[in-house]
Amino acid sequence: MTVSLTIENLSAHYGQTQVLKDLSISVAAGELVSLLGSSGCGKTTTLRIVAGFLQPTSGNVKLGDRDLTTLPAHARDIGLVFQNYALFPHLTVQENVAFGLKQRGISSADRAKRATAMLERVGLANLADRLPGALSGGQKQRVALARALVIEPPLLMFDEPLSNLDAKLRVDMRVEIRQLQKANGTTSLYVTHDQEEAFSISDRVAIMNAGRIMQLDTPEVLYQKPANAFVARFVGFENLIPMKTVARDGAIVTVEAAGGARLHLSQDVFGPIKDDFVLATRPDGLVVRQEGEGIPTTLGTRTYLGRAYQYKCETAAGEITANGALSELFEPGAKAVLVPVPEQCCILAPEK
Amino acid sequence: MNKFAKWGLTLPATIAVVLLLVIPVVLTIATTFGEPKGVFSTYTAFFNSGFRTNILYRTLRIALITTAISLVIGFLTAYVIAQMPGRLKSIAIIAAVFPLLTGVVVRSFAWLIILGKNGILNSSLLSLGIISEPLSMLYTEGSVIVAMVYLFVPLMILTLTGVLEGIPRDVVEASASLGAKPIATFFQVILPLAVPGLIVGAVLVFTGSFTSYATPQLLGGEQMMMMGTLLYQRAMVTFDWVGASTIAAIMVVITIAIVSIMSRIARRLNPMAV
Repeated sequence: MTVSLTIENLSAHYGQTQVLKDLSISVAAGELVSLLGSSGCGKTTTLRIVAGFLQPTSGNVKLGDRDLTTLPAHARDIGLVFQNYALFPHLTVQENVAFGLKQRGISSADRAKRATAMLERVGLANLADRLPGALSGGQKQRVALARALVIEPPLLMFDEPLSNLDAKLRVDMRVEIRQLQKANGTTSLYVTHDQEEAFSISDRVAIMNAGRIMQLDTPEVLYQKPANAFVARFVGFENLIPMKTVARDGAIVTVEAAGGARLHLSQDVFGPIKDDFVLATRPDGLVVRQEGEGIPTTLGTRTYLGRAYQYKCETAAGEITANGALSELFEPGAKAVLVPVPEQCCILAPEK
Repeated sequence: MNKFAKWGLTLPATIAVVLLLVIPVVLTIATTFGEPKGVFSTYTAFFNSGFRTNILYRTLRIALITTAISLVIGFLTAYVIAQMPGRLKSIAIIAAVFPLLTGVVVRSFAWLIILGKNGILNSSLLSLGIISEPLSMLYTEGSVIVAMVYLFVPLMILTLTGVLEGIPRDVVEASASLGAKPIATFFQVILPLAVPGLIVGAVLVFTGSFTSYATPQLLGGEQMMMMGTLLYQRAMVTFDWVGASTIAAIMVVITIAIVSIMSRIARRLNPMAV
């Protein structure tokens, strides 16, 4: 029973402030999509609207062909895993897991059987009679997961489920969540502010900012081909160098950075180049050379990264971070040029 | 800080409790067993007197009814208050607690004016033509209960608001997300989690109303004596000190018994409650 989730033109307000701006996402049946962004970007608001805890100002939410928008939360049939686990402190682990089944009028014998089976799947069968207060964070989140899964919901939602766990457990748990989600083929929406977590667990990731989706794509595309300056910066393109086209000669475009440094870029390798654009690179996307065509710079602080030396580079276009090869050591204060590596650069529209 | 110094900090309070509470209570109870007619003679005398056992049963009944009504009213009010936004919440709590700023006597006296033969309630009902002659509402169990509920509801509201506010929002949301209708969430999540507060509130109201003196004195009169008024009469009118001590001892035992029954119920409803 896998269905898709469709969120259409969602807008939401807190008082006068608009927190979601015409947001649309569709999650295919069995797919896991993450909403990724810093706090206040609207990711949790989106999840709360889908869950039925908040009413949108406009737009609608559909699960398969069922319109959820006006349904109360308890009628939506969504499995939810909370950041703070939200276990019922007065019920045992077993009773916590059986809670949703009880609400569905399932007989107590069946409830016990299904809750036990689910607890076995998450490896907690031996703790069935404990109260949540006696569990560790990881165990609590497993109970929360079991409680959400046992009702076999058509949609699972996760609200920063791992952010209260320590680093090692976080990695283990996210693998476990992904395995359970894949095994059940449950359509899932996952909210997190942790990029690594989102990229490792998701089929697709929506990077959000100020109530909008900046880009919704597979982790690979997001990481290698960000669609705009915001996403580029978010995924680690530290250098965003504004440039202008000054001449075109077939595929070769002559561009100029602030301060007058000129480069000849081929549209065959860089893709189409507009008149006004931003050249975005990670520190690895720039080669530090003694001389040649590039952005002239005075090298500043050098840090050893193990695989490379990282330089803070003063240029007329602002400070740029570049990773230089281990084989060629530059001293701070040396003059050099920075040469962009086409495969590791993106040509993006300038920021407004 | 060493161990002794730490215990030293509790010393003033310990001395006060021992000197002013433990010793007097022990001495009071001890006197009841020193009668020449036999160790338990004062107790058999108490329980053989229909007049006195009637007062005990009445006191229990009034205290339990007051507690039950206060629990319901207090819980409903606190439930609404706990969900109010910040500013409105403070105003509501202040309003609820406002009656506590005046004394017990004043608040009980107010009911004399309301419930009296020529009181506000009777004159309103008369002028509305609902009744043709004044009702006698004073000096009944009802009048005592009404006044006591009025007296104790603020305490209940205060206790329960704190507890209900402490129930995390996401636990309630988790219940809804698992398919629990609001009424199911209330009975299976909110109510059990509020049990510790309900017990504290119930204990406060029960002990307060079981031992009350001013309210039954003013609104119950001679006909509706309670343990508190009986004790006063024994001690200050008939100077029967041993009789008064016996009443006090019975009250202490019953209070302890009821409180422990309440906490046992609490533990059954919510294994986390004390």
